[in-house]
Amino acid sequence: MNHRIQMTVNGVKNEADVQPRMLLVHFVREVLNLTGTHIGCDTTNCGACTIVLNGRAVKSCTVLAVQADGGDVLTVEGLAKNGTLHPIQEGFWEKHGLQCGFCTPGMMMSAYTLLKNNSHPSEEEIRWGISGNLCRCTGYVNIVKAIRYAAEKIATEKK
Amino acid sequence: MHATSTKQFQVKQPIEKVWAFLSDLKKVASCLPGAQITEAIDDRTYKGTITVKVGPITSQFNGEVKIERLDNQIHEIELLGKGQDPRGSGGATMKMVGKLRSLTEGRTEVTGTTEITVTGRLAQFGSRMMDDVSNHVFEQFTRSFQAKLAQENGTGSEVAFAPTPQPVNALPLVLSVTGKVIGRFFGRILGKSTSS
Amino acid sequence: MATEIQGMGHSVKRKEDPRFIQGKGNYVDDVKLPGMLYLDIVRSPYAHAKIKKIDTSKATAIPGVLAVVTGEMLKQYNLHWMPTLMSDTQMVLPVEKVMYQSQEVAGVIATDRYIAADGAAAVEVEYEPLPVVVDPKKALELGAPILRTDKKDKKDNLIFHWEVGNKAATETAFKEADVTVKQDMYLPRIHVCSIETCGCVASFDKISGKLTVWMTTQAPHAIRTVFALVAGHVGLSEQKIQIISPDIGGGFGGKVPVYPGYVIAVAASVLIGKPVKWIEDRMENIQADSFARDYHITAEIAAKKDGTMQALRIKTIADHGYADAAANPSKFPAGLFSIATGSYDFKTAFAEVDGVYTNKPPGGIAYRCSFRVTEAVHTIERMVDVLAHDLKMDPAELRMKNFIPANKFPYKSALGWEYDSGNYEAALQKAKVIIGYDALRKEQAEKRKKGELMGIGISSFTEIVGAGPSHTFDILGIKMFDSCEIRIHPTGKAVARFGTKSQGQGHETTYAQIVAEELGIPVDDIQVEEGDTDTAPYGLGTYASRSTPTAGAAGAMASRKIRDKAKKIAAYLLECSEADLVWERGKFYVQGAPQKAKTIQEIAFAAYTNHPQGMEAGLEAVSYYDPPNLTFPFGSYICVVDIDRGTGEVKVRRFVAVDDCGNIINPMIVEGQIHGGLTMGLAPALYEAINYDEEGNIQGGSFMDYLLPTAVETPKWETDKTCTPSPHHPLGAKGVGESATVGAPPAIVNAVVDALAHLGVRHIDIPMTPWKVWQILKEKGVAAER
Ligand code: FES
Ligand code: FES
Repeated sequence: MNHRIQMTVNGVKNEADVQPRMLLVHFVREVLNLTGTHIGCDTTNCGACTIVLNGRAVKSCTVLAVQADGGDVLTVEGLAKNGTLHPIQEGFWEKHGLQCGFCTPGMMMSAYTLLKNNSHPSEEEIRWGISGNLCRCTGYVNIVKAIRYAAEKIATEKK
Repeated sequence: MHATSTKQFQVKQPIEKVWAFLSDLKKVASCLPGAQITEAIDDRTYKGTITVKVGPITSQFNGEVKIERLDNQIHEIELLGKGQDPRGSGGATMKMVGKLRSLTEGRTEVTGTTEITVTGRLAQFGSRMMDDVSNHVFEQFTRSFQAKLAQENGTGSEVAFAPTPQPVNALPLVLSVTGKVIGRFFGRILGKSTSS
Repeated sequence: MATEIQGMGHSVKRKEDPRFIQGKGNYVDDVKLPGMLYLDIVRSPYAHAKIKKIDTSKATAIPGVLAVVTGEMLKQYNLHWMPTLMSDTQMVLPVEKVMYQSQEVAGVIATDRYIAADGAAAVEVEYEPLPVVVDPKKALELGAPILRTDKKDKKDNLIFHWEVGNKAATETAFKEADVTVKQDMYLPRIHVCSIETCGCVASFDKISGKLTVWMTTQAPHAIRTVFALVAGHVGLSEQKIQIISPDIGGGFGGKVPVYPGYVIAVAASVLIGKPVKWIEDRMENIQADSFARDYHITAEIAAKKDGTMQALRIKTIADHGYADAAANPSKFPAGLFSIATGSYDFKTAFAEVDGVYTNKPPGGIAYRCSFRVTEAVHTIERMVDVLAHDLKMDPAELRMKNFIPANKFPYKSALGWEYDSGNYEAALQKAKVIIGYDALRKEQAEKRKKGELMGIGISSFTEIVGAGPSHTFDILGIKMFDSCEIRIHPTGKAVARFGTKSQGQGHETTYAQIVAEELGIPVDDIQVEEGDTDTAPYGLGTYASRSTPTAGAAGAMASRKIRDKAKKIAAYLLECSEADLVWERGKFYVQGAPQKAKTIQEIAFAAYTNHPQGMEAGLEAVSYYDPPNLTFPFGSYICVVDIDRGTGEVKVRRFVAVDDCGNIINPMIVEGQIHGGLTMGLAPALYEAINYDEEGNIQGGSFMDYLLPTAVETPKWETDKTCTPSPHHPLGAKGVGESATVGAPPAIVNAVVDALAHLGVRHIDIPMTPWKVWQILKEKGVAAER
């Protein structure tokens, strides 16, 4: 039995019929073709699938698409606005916060939520904030710098 | 993965009655949660199934139980069970020795020693829970054993028992072990069974 | 518009990043083709068992399941076994028995990945368990069950015995030595765990007979050849095979081998004539893909009383699982383990390695390191500390005393390598100054008085990378050169294609910088491409830090070929003789008249519009670079740890890494590589290990139990460098992606052991988990009451 669900993703309204067991991450990647969100594990440990659902960072491999019915989703594809990179994206590029790029979308979505809740996080807070996201390439040092960069950029933009 | 354990309990029945029950494989099997004898191959070998449920995974082991030794003199029985889940979650073997000792006031002490070897997914992921699962199984077995024995001998029972085979359900048990672990455990099982 | 050239030494922002940060990377799982089917794999719960029956009827009855591929099916095409890179054989799908837990047993092809998973769960397999061998030492014992019964004459479980060095001279040195030390150590199985798992999309076109495979591979060209060799007899010939390695989400060695899943997907696509996607999940990735390490080592050093090291002797048992599926150069069954004399001037040495079959997944590959170099470095760097411990000497001082002196390069090592260049003293000295070594020793002495546990550990490693010269290095006979092809378009822009494949190392940027440096074309005007065997020149791929030493060099050499032709065109345009021309990055000018010049862009245009008569038009070149030698990056790392007496937890307080990888192309990228490498050095030192119980059940088969460091455990790495260029590399560069993974673990172990040395602790095997350390604390009576 399929279920009809509705979801606003990156500002766009979508409707689709899905199997009740379909994971949100598969919905985003395969039904909506937004492949920027990745899958890196099967135990909710890696965070590669992190997206923002109703303002909270969630691991979309552990949410069923039907649970997100009526929800508002932001994925990495929705970060840049009108061709301008989001400060977090800029930070990752500037500070070499990525290597293979596989963890990056999830990492940025965690950073996005972190900065929404805490506009001036300390290094310690940044590290805890992304502790649900694994990166095998970078050793995190530059990711921390990238998030700092973004925090500063957002603060100056607000002024 | 190996797990060995020895457990003891007492029943309010004389040794001969308990022995009659214990040495009847079909009766003993009926006390084992999730177990069912399906076919007798000869008077010492039986085919059967045992169902184990851990979280959303249900494994049905098909197997064989054999009475390796039956000593009416010292009231000792040795069983060897082997099972396999045809759907690939793994297999298990169990060696069990049951021993009776007469106590005063018509009571009997039952000692069971089990040695379980598990292979497959349960062994990969369940090692931290194995002890709890086997304790839980044993507890259910004990209750059922006492109840059935009592019922058979018309002495009534203080303990209720489940009349039909119930699968070993490890989920509630594990939940009480640690909520966090089960959350992740559930995640990985679910991840495999629905997303790969 | 004049854009900056940004050649060598610039921290150019990465050209590949804009797509990654906007979710537009193109990884294998992002490939979606019309009519694509999905493969899911049935795996064995047993480590060793006979297959009695495979019943696929319930699976094929599920709507949407198209086929179940079994070993029997593949056997009809003789595709049920395949060769490994080490000329051993490995099953694609079993016919008779399974040899490790999680081995592939059957493949279910369905219209949707959920249905494929349902199908896999519905395949019923009956096994008869066989005795399991997990301990390689037991596997070598007389009477151990013989695992490879498929090999007719195999009467034991030994794969190979390999030795190197001078056995007799080493024995003599040990007999005559003042002091000898000996230590057993075990480097457990670990797994690379790139965050992207392995997978492919295989698409066979029945009409054209062409097979295209998008695949997570570090070595697309070699894979194409392997496919052609394995499946040539069923009509797949090499010109009709295209391997595309798109964006790769980390490799670290794990994406070098050919896994059965790829072959099943290809076979299914050929059979059905539709594209088939296979993406393994994390548990499959950890449980079945190639592993690293699993070396049981016994090492000894013979030394003089004053600490001068004389001889080194090592005996190793290498657990390869049920097949030798290592990814070493053919002549090196134990990889480059013979770099084990390290940074030290040993007179003589001898090493032997026995490769052994067990009921575990086949391997072993590297883990962000050049073939078995981590094992070698761990051994020697640990042993130097063991010697220092026994001689009651300071480990820094003992190292300084025994380093190969800077003036002795090129240096021939006791185990036969010719080190290109090095300055070990300078690197250690620098690290000592940065971390404040002497002050730390004082602090440690004071802490000890108070009962606090703090340790300082050093590792002064030498790596060996850039395989390799064709006289000794090949994989399945293919020489380990690498390649670059550059085309300069009429407007002076360029496309450069390489035989390697980036998995995050930033080749699109660094290779462009190399070409920019050599030709003076701005980085932004150079498009770098790799990973498509239809377009890129043949190369052996990216692993073992070989990209810069081989393909990077090829880039420089191809650029120089272009420059040679450009010079001829410039002479023609400027109406002068070639001998009068001077090259200044980006242009040729007439000696003594710098205003008479032609830029590379003008020359490129002329190459297509106004080239000299008698010369071919166009401006392009190919180079297949055969390196004259390997390169030997090195470094000195110092680590400070504090141990929690209550929990046994090791906290890395500081970690200073001084690396020397010769000349640097992009400092930002090099630093990033070192950060990542250090973290992958920390991981096995403290957290990661895959163990097996007696029945061959894997312990640590998911991210639940196999613990990758998060940002919280990872220390704030401090990096610095010295620069000793490689004398033979065209750019003086050496390769750096793996140095830190190799160098970091012994620094951390040495620090932990140092923290406990006063209690009589001399060695601890990795991973040094809190539980393991706490047990030691308890045994030594210093565990704090909780
Ligand atoms: S895919 Fe790993 S946490 Fe979701
Ligand atoms: S950049 Fe590769 S996993 Fe983070």
